[in-house]
Amino acid sequence: MRKQTAPKPNYLGVGGWVWGGKYKLERYLYLFHRISGLYLMLFIMLHLFTTFIFRIQSKDVWAATIVLFQHPWLKIIAYLTVGAAVYHAMNGLRLALLELGFALGRPALPVFPYSDALRRKRPLTMVFMALAIVIAFIFFFGFV
Amino acid sequence: MRNTYLWLLQLVTGGIIVVLLGAHLITQYPDGILVVTQRLDTTLKLFGIAGADTTTWASTIHRARQGIAAGLYLALVAVVLYHGLNGLRGIALEVTASAATARVITYALMAIGTILFSAILVSRLLY
Repeated sequence: MRKQTAPKPNYLGVGGWVWGGKYKLERYLYLFHRISGLYLMLFIMLHLFTTFIFRIQSKDVWAATIVLFQHPWLKIIAYLTVGAAVYHAMNGLRLALLELGFALGRPALPVFPYSDALRRKRPLTMVFMALAIVIAFIFFFGFV
Repeated sequence: MRNTYLWLLQLVTGGIIVVLLGAHLITQYPDGILVVTQRLDTTLKLFGIAGADTTTWASTIHRARQGIAAGLYLALVAVVLYHGLNGLRGIALEVTASAATARVITYALMAIGTILFSAILVSRLLY
């Protein structure tokens, strides 16, 4: 008689966010969505602190803070933040569209060769990612 | 509140953030839009902003004192706090096994959001 073993729990924990097998493009978009969301939350906390607290201090403290933000490294970080926000917004709009049932295409009979949902939605993904790249490029002029 | 309503609010707040944060980013970094439209002054006047540099003290205080801009910024802060904290809740609940812990996380994040928004609202009203 074969020895019975307990089934392996289908739970990968935090590591499963990064790697859980062969991933398609959308799975990596999800990962970057999560990373950019966490980063933006951190940024917003710092941003609210700098704007609201330094403003209460005085005009001089505010001016000094603005001068500090002209440093090249901080400008790079600011542009990366804008890029993260643009990516998060465009990917979020894509997810919201699909969540609400738009742009899913018409239902069709399963005729060989079968198409899968990811491939049918791939053009929509590409459109939103192209939009994100274009918008991020437009904002680039504000940082040079 | 049921999770489905929280998720629906997450979608709605996401849409609001796209509009309000878009306006905020365009007013703060207008050069790119200037290159595209060449009609920056008309666009900025729609938001009640005159002059090129939006990061100076005078410009910032002018917007803070102006009713519509201040209200829009407060709305943006409230909506962003909900969206961000609800996102954190979703991530935290993914790695949480027990319902009791999930409840603690939910109420803790609600408290954090309320305290942060109150602090910002008070600082806005006082200064």
